[in-house]
Amino acid sequence: MIFPYLGQAIRNLFTKPATEKFPLAEAPAAQPHYRGRIAYDPSVCVNCGMCQKVCAPQAISRDIHPLPNGDQEITLTFDLTSCTFCGTCADFCARHAIHLTEDYMIVGTKPEDFLVSGTFTKKKPPAPKFTPEQIAAMKAAAEAKKKAAAEKAAAETK
Amino acid sequence: MFQKWIDKSMRKSPWIYHINAGSCNGCDIELVSVLTPRYDAERFGFHLTGTPRQADIVVVSGPITMQSVDRLIRTLAQVPEPKCVVSLGSCPRSGNVFKGSFAIAGPLEKYTHVDVSVGGCTPKPEAIVAGLAKAAEILEEKRREMRKHGGMAPSPAVAAAVEHEERAEFGTGDATAVRQGAEQEADA
Repeated sequence: MIFPYLGQAIRNLFTKPATEKFPLAEAPAAQPHYRGRIAYDPSVCVNCGMCQKVCAPQAISRDIHPLPNGDQEITLTFDLTSCTFCGTCADFCARHAIHLTEDYMIVGTKPEDFLVSGTFTKKKPPAPKFTPEQIAAMKAAAEAKKKAAAEKAAAETK
Repeated sequence: MFQKWIDKSMRKSPWIYHINAGSCNGCDIELVSVLTPRYDAERFGFHLTGTPRQADIVVVSGPITMQSVDRLIRTLAQVPEPKCVVSLGSCPRSGNVFKGSFAIAGPLEKYTHVDVSVGGCTPKPEAIVAGLAKAAEILEEKRREMRKHGGMAPSPAVAAAVEHEERAEFGTGDATAVRQGAEQEADA
């Protein structure tokens, strides 16, 4: 055959163009497991700070704001302009509070467009039932009781 | 008489100039892929030009290294108004993983006004196309604004441009100061 690609060329005349229609049409979905915009769920976060520790570009900032009743209001902010989208924070999150979604359209004109943040309130731990002194006294009393019982038992066997 | 015709032509051909300010090449590759047949930004008139003097949109990638900052300022000063600055990827806005390095003079906001930022490391080509489309819109707005002021850029932009030129001419701008500061620190 003189023109080996003639068939292909003619077929291409009747096929759709390979160009993506975006932005005239909707943007195509990313590949599965694509690491895009961070989603943070503050309702399951326990404020362990692991994500902040493992973040290489220091994109995560934590703001701890004490409330008058002893609770703490904790805000985690993810700065997507600093983020490398490595996913280490999500991997290290013991409670799976951080996910990297498949949304890759991170386009904006203001710095606020690139912030992902969440706030939750950390309850003050309940006060213990007994003070350490009381516990020590109770322990001593139990010890004395045991000793007395042992002595009594020893006297009876004699 | 030809104004309408010129306006339409300008709207349909926003030319891009790309500055690599110490990028790792990831964003540069993605920007080039935007111009390939698959994403084909040229159907909207985006054309990669070789000189800043013909550019409308300046795309900056990389964390603005000490070596590139003087050249970046000089190049930005050569872009005629109205211009639109697009930062590509995480690096120009924050320094990314190079944040705090002695070799980094960023972020880009220190030297120019950034109109559109495309986040990601690296951004997907679709995101870059969206960013460029937004930049073209902003450019159009700026051009209209400029016409209202009789062909002059609105005052802050003019001030910024003059400042940039001064910096480039006399080398007394931020970049030199930053570099001198870094050198002094190194000496001490």
